[in-house]
Amino acid sequence: MDAFLYVGLPYLSLTILVVGTIVRFRQAPFSVSSLSSQVLERKKLALGTVPWHLGILVLLAGHLVAFLVPDIWRSLTANHAFLLTVEVIGFAAAAMAAFGLGTLVYRRLVTARLQAVTNRMDLVVLGLLLVQVLVGISVALSARWGAQWSAGTTSPYLWSLLTFQPDLTYVADLPPSVRLHLGLAWLTFALIPFTRLIHGFSIPLGYLVRAPQQVIWATRRRLARDTARAGGVSPETSRRHFVKGLGGLFAAGVLMSVGVLDKLVGYFKGQRLERSEQVDLLEKKLERLRATSEEQALELERLEKDAILVAQLGQLDPRQGRYFIDYQMRPALAFKGADQLPILISAKCTHLGCTVASDVNDKGQILCPCHISYFDIKTGAPNPGAPAKAPLPRIGWLLKDTKGTVVMTQDGAGNRTWPEGEDAIAPDALDGLQVWIAKRFEEGA
Amino acid sequence: MKPATRTRRFVAFLAERLPAEKMSLQAMVQKKEVPVHRWSWAYYLGGLALFFFVIQIVTGLMMLFYYEPSVATAHASVEHLTNNVPGGALIRNLHAWSSSAMILSVMLHLLTTFAMKAFGRPRELTWVSGVLLLFLVFGFGFTGYLLPWHQIAVNATKVGLGSIEQFGEYLPGDLADLPRQIRETIQGGATVGQATLSRFYAIHVVVLPLISLGLLGFHLLSVQLHGMSPGVDRPTGRTEKFFPLFILKDLKVWGVVFLMLAVVAICIPFDAFLDYPLGAPYNPLGSTPDGIKPEWYFFWMYYPLELLPFWLVAGGMGVLQVGLLLVPRIFRGTSRKVLRTLAAAAAVYLIVITLFGQAIYEMFSGGH
Repeated sequence: MDAFLYVGLPYLSLTILVVGTIVRFRQAPFSVSSLSSQVLERKKLALGTVPWHLGILVLLAGHLVAFLVPDIWRSLTANHAFLLTVEVIGFAAAAMAAFGLGTLVYRRLVTARLQAVTNRMDLVVLGLLLVQVLVGISVALSARWGAQWSAGTTSPYLWSLLTFQPDLTYVADLPPSVRLHLGLAWLTFALIPFTRLIHGFSIPLGYLVRAPQQVIWATRRRLARDTARAGGVSPETSRRHFVKGLGGLFAAGVLMSVGVLDKLVGYFKGQRLERSEQVDLLEKKLERLRATSEEQALELERLEKDAILVAQLGQLDPRQGRYFIDYQMRPALAFKGADQLPILISAKCTHLGCTVASDVNDKGQILCPCHISYFDIKTGAPNPGAPAKAPLPRIGWLLKDTKGTVVMTQDGAGNRTWPEGEDAIAPDALDGLQVWIAKRFEEGA
Repeated sequence: MKPATRTRRFVAFLAERLPAEKMSLQAMVQKKEVPVHRWSWAYYLGGLALFFFVIQIVTGLMMLFYYEPSVATAHASVEHLTNNVPGGALIRNLHAWSSSAMILSVMLHLLTTFAMKAFGRPRELTWVSGVLLLFLVFGFGFTGYLLPWHQIAVNATKVGLGSIEQFGEYLPGDLADLPRQIRETIQGGATVGQATLSRFYAIHVVVLPLISLGLLGFHLLSVQLHGMSPGVDRPTGRTEKFFPLFILKDLKVWGVVFLMLAVVAICIPFDAFLDYPLGAPYNPLGSTPDGIKPEWYFFWMYYPLELLPFWLVAGGMGVLQVGLLLVPRIFRGTSRKVLRTLAAAAAVYLIVITLFGQAIYEMFSGGH
């Protein structure tokens, strides 16, 4: 039975199709048409035939592509977005086709005028197609992602038929609905030469490219009316523009929606991160949060405390500044001066507020890289002609010994308090002292 | 002049600029005609800017779904959007490219409108609203630049805001401190910090878009009310219908431009032209990176600021701003020939300073 349905019937029906079509073209060439019944009934025909043909053409094209280039098709449908789009288009086309065909069947059955031109074969064809479309939809629903699996089952089967090495194994295990769909397809092929389905061989494609023809209408008034309705374009040309435009718009719309939907869905869905990526992300966030909390701790310290430790005097260097944050939460630099005492200076450029770099050049200056101002670290004064006009403010400091006693101070203006007499500090003991900034020096500045 | 006369004149002025009898679909859409002549391409520029603005709104809204406006997380969230979110880099890139494209088309729109004398009576208010929109566009650029909170962005913002303080030098006595106070009010604290980020975020995302929507509505309404300006001294007499012909052509241009924008946004990361792609997150203790520069669309005032005395540039800017707003009054008697020359000169200046600004700066500032 299988051998007949899936090997014998295909060859038989294809033979009938080829021979029958040739015979019909030779014997009754003027019958190669769809026997239009538009004259008898227009409204329901338009409602049915347009969605039916649009839908079925899209479906046939889809089936054909999967059959002709199964390998390319398989790799394309491996992309989830592409597969989804194809299936959505397929379902939409199937719905259109089913609706259109249903309308056509209904119209054929209830319109009195049509009964006269309806023969038995018409009804058979309509019924067969309707069943075939419904079976097709049920296949798509019950065995999902047909666009994908067909490339590995029915396509090789069809190729095996085409290469005269029929291989039944591909279809033997398919679900009954798929097998029914295939069997009905072969039956339909066989019917083509005997029914109006023959009009598939007489599509007037030349219409789209042939030169426009002057159509002489029965009345001039009607031509004028139709022309006016089409916005000044003659009906013949405008219809053709419409068909072409619709095709273009449809193709562009499909492409656009594939691309845009793919991106949109992915964007809002967000990526499900892998473990290692998640770890990286969280580590980075935590690090930034830590930096922020450190900064806020600094701010709190400056609000609460009257003096803040900058560094050990011994840690300071005459050539390489050490950044710290002053009482206004602005960057500042600490150096060791030639007299072994600290030099504390604001590092916020007085020009536009950039942070000044920390390396001292041979002239004892530090550079603001934004607009190239050099500042003398001792006086804070900018070089002549620099964009910055005002000197960098100097910052007062305290020197405390390890017990916390203040042994020496200097305010922002450079006024020092010296330990006198026997309290004087030996130069080599200086390095052990701590440099602090104090709130009392900042408030005056 | 008696108050009554003054009021009457004011009402007459408004009535001519906003003719109520023309406020109908028929007058504004169906009857509108677009002149056809050598300069017709300029009629597309405003629509193009509008199109880029729409892209900005859409991509901007999309980025809002991921952006976190706090100094601790802003940079990380932008990084996450760029590296991890599917299509995130594309959306961000579209926003960046489209912002530049919007500013470019707005500048061109301004120049061509000027050259075509499209600000003449009764289109004065259209021009003024357009100039205000131009200021807003620069505001968008300046505030949006800070949001990723990287080293360059924060320092560039510091420099930009710092120039406000420079006015202090030229103010007498107690007033000298006023610019500093204004600056600190804008940035919400003594330095650029969380308060600044929150403010710029609110301005960029809510305040400016709302104002621009209002202004844009007025701008478009008056364009539709008065129709396209003739644009040339001797109209060719040929026109085409605004609806549907011109609007279809407009859509066609938008489609092509969007395609180009998408290709560019997919292929070339906007950051590729900066020395610091996404950059390091801002570190308040680090020194300012070398050679920071604003975006290209600020070059025309950045390089003069670098090279010339501040008072000169600041004064020039003030004159320019007021001058732009008063263009319909100042140039009402000027011929299109002169206007065109002025616009060409401005265009040459903009092109030269934007392309060769750095070279000119290095030439005059001795190696730096």
